[in-house]
Amino acid sequence: MLGSAGSAVVGATVLAGCGLFGQDDDDPKTADPLQPVLDEALALVAAYDRAVVSQPGLTPRLTPLAADHRAHATELAKLIGGKLPSAGASAPASNASDAVGTVAELRKAEQTAQKNAAAACKQAPAARAALIGSIAACRATHAEALK
Amino acid sequence: MQRVNEQLAAALAAEEAAIYAYGPIGVKLTGTGERTEARAAEQAHRNRRDTLVSKLAQLKASAAPAPAGYELPFAVTDRASALKLAVQVEDGVAQAWRVVLPVTTGTDRSNALSALTDSAVRATRWRRLAEVTPVTMPFPGRP
Repeated sequence: MLGSAGSAVVGATVLAGCGLFGQDDDDPKTADPLQPVLDEALALVAAYDRAVVSQPGLTPRLTPLAADHRAHATELAKLIGGKLPSAGASAPASNASDAVGTVAELRKAEQTAQKNAAAACKQAPAARAALIGSIAACRATHAEALK
Repeated sequence: MQRVNEQLAAALAAEEAAIYAYGPIGVKLTGTGERTEARAAEQAHRNRRDTLVSKLAQLKASAAPAPAGYELPFAVTDRASALKLAVQVEDGVAQAWRVVLPVTTGTDRSNALSALTDSAVRATRWRRLAEVTPVTMPFPGRP
């Protein structure tokens, strides 16, 4: 029993090791724990962009919120060491936020994103805690601003 | 441990300053909605203060003695200056809690994040009432 569990762990380690050399940084095994927070920031940017296109009257209200998420994405990419998708490139696909359109839906997406960032903050090493904490707090202020 | 004590003591000072400020703020706000909001905010800061006092006692840290009298950064003479001070007070509390995050872990860090988040949300609410734009900032608590 113990022996088979042990070999399974070894097998997984070997596979992960292959991933380091054979694949790019998108491999979930090697991805930074903050990658989902960055992905969510980009998904929110895209969601706000879509909302502004479909409801131009909301532009003054939504543009500053989208700018906050862009600032988060920039800082997170710097921290993780990755590159941001160039302007105009679509945010990571298959995200729940893809369907976001109305203010109520944006608010719900912000609340979910806040919870995810708060969870990431709790797990983060000390050097990252303040940045992720601010991002979580900012997402909460967005939910308030969309009330 | 020393740093935790220092940051928690600084958070306590910020909470005390907020409690003090909400007195004059409440007087100059107009409308029951705004006054209710101010009272709720003051109570929230009192709760945080009480929790901090217990926490510091538990850590056997001597909290800095409360100053004999607080001074407001500017005179609160009308609704506009009351709202301005409310925003400033909440931003200050958010800053004090943000620096607690790196020196804590687990539940203590979650509590600090809740305090930071609550202050940031209240600051946004006050900005909206004051019609200040934008109502949010990208990194609440960052000086």
